[in-house]
Amino acid sequence: MRHYLKIELLRMLRNKRYIIFVIAFPVLFYLLYSNLWGSEVDQATGVKGSVTLMVSMGAYGALAASIMSSAVPWSQERQSGWLRQLQITPLPGWTIIVTKLIASMVLVLPALLLVALAAVLTQHVSLPAGEWVGLIAALWIGTIPFIALGLAIGSVLPPDTAQPVAVIGMFGLALLGGLWFPESLMPETMKSIAHVLPSYDYANIGWQIVAGETPQASMILGVAAWAVGLGALALLAYRRATVRA
Amino acid sequence: MNAIAFNGVTKKYGDVVAVDGLSLDIPAGSTVALLGPNGAGKSTSINMLLGLLRPTSGEITVFGSSPDEAVARGDIGAMLQEGALIPELTVRESVDFIRRLYPNPLPLDDVLRMADLTDLAGRRADKLSGGQTQRVRFALAVAGGPKLLLLDEPTAAMDVESRRAFWGNMRSYAAQGRTIVFATHYLEEADENSDRVVVVAKGRVVADGTAAEIKAGVAGHAVSFRLGDQPAAGLDALAGVSAVEIQAGRVTVKTSDPDATVEALYRKTTLDIRDLQIHGADLEDAFLALTKES
Repeated sequence: MRHYLKIELLRMLRNKRYIIFVIAFPVLFYLLYSNLWGSEVDQATGVKGSVTLMVSMGAYGALAASIMSSAVPWSQERQSGWLRQLQITPLPGWTIIVTKLIASMVLVLPALLLVALAAVLTQHVSLPAGEWVGLIAALWIGTIPFIALGLAIGSVLPPDTAQPVAVIGMFGLALLGGLWFPESLMPETMKSIAHVLPSYDYANIGWQIVAGETPQASMILGVAAWAVGLGALALLAYRRATVRA
Repeated sequence: MNAIAFNGVTKKYGDVVAVDGLSLDIPAGSTVALLGPNGAGKSTSINMLLGLLRPTSGEITVFGSSPDEAVARGDIGAMLQEGALIPELTVRESVDFIRRLYPNPLPLDDVLRMADLTDLAGRRADKLSGGQTQRVRFALAVAGGPKLLLLDEPTAAMDVESRRAFWGNMRSYAAQGRTIVFATHYLEEADENSDRVVVVAKGRVVADGTAAEIKAGVAGHAVSFRLGDQPAAGLDALAGVSAVEIQAGRVTVKTSDPDATVEALYRKTTLDIRDLQIHGADLEDAFLALTKES
């Protein structure tokens, strides 16, 4: 299974489109936005724009990596017959989805860490060690619902629909979660949609950590509930996709 | 010991019967061709052997246990009809990955050599031609050193030369005492590369034996000669004869045993036989005759 994981990581890191979309984009946007608004300070929390944006773009990169590393590759493998190739080897069925989950979690890290590195190097962002650890850990573990969503999409849809659905899902979650512009600027209906989405709670946990606050239990519960719900959906969809009729 | 045993296996998709009460034993160490037209149930049978499909009724055992258990033990390798590779991985990476999933794999270099891939080992799958991809898929099927190798129309995408090379590789794998079952609708392939041909049509076995036996079992031979205006009565009663046709003074008798028919023509009739010709059946005729009947 370790070798399987290695193979999964290798292939994604060789995929140029993936690298551009999920690693280069968030870093570039961070550099751009932090140059524009990096020195603005939030009146309520006293957090600088460069720090808030680091959380936003880190969260966006992690969200994008979660969905893009899971949905389309998995859908393609199902359709192309690679899944069958694996099913006729001694590899136990459950290792496929577990490996995919772990691989996606590893693939989230470059985007997350590079955005943080860009923040430190270009905006001289500094946080207490505890906040760094908490922030990275929260944004990392918090990707589980998004990976589960990606795997569910990949199990249910063929590649040519999985691709647009994954992209729309990714941008939709990012936009409504307030990663591109603050949720306070949204109209009321959008706001109420945003509040139930996992990306909103996910990003807020990050912002609360860098503001030196303890994340609200309701936010953590929100992400956890989505993780359980989407995880169950992903498992169900996976079982349906691999059923032997 | 039987490598494979089908015991009254039926597979239905709704009302469509793909495999119809199939019973078949394949001893370990043999190379068997499943020969039949499209839709005969060959792929369905192979997918059931791999546990990818479940029989509607009946039982399949592979080396004495269920297909799932045989797959889990690493006893089976297969080259299915469809199967793409991971585009970003090289030939060596893909083959090595699959190889390592098996408990007793073949050495990587041996696998690459067996599939003529040594020179392509470093190439990415998305840079391979169709024929090269097929070779990689063969390599994936044998990489784990399976006791049973299943090939579902393995040469479908190959040109003549790749085909010849492919069967050479397959035979050398068979020579290591492995059991091989391949599905094909190419008669020549079945004839040249197997020691037993099982002809299937509409989900049933319609003939089973060596290629020679199958040819002989069908009234595909014919004996013809010039009859002129002599009477043709009694020809249909001669040994082996199944049909008599007369056209423009020339008679053609269809026979399952041309030797016996010719002998009877000379000994048991007083006909003046001129310009005698014996036409041999080929497997093609046998195949058409067999699959049409059912």
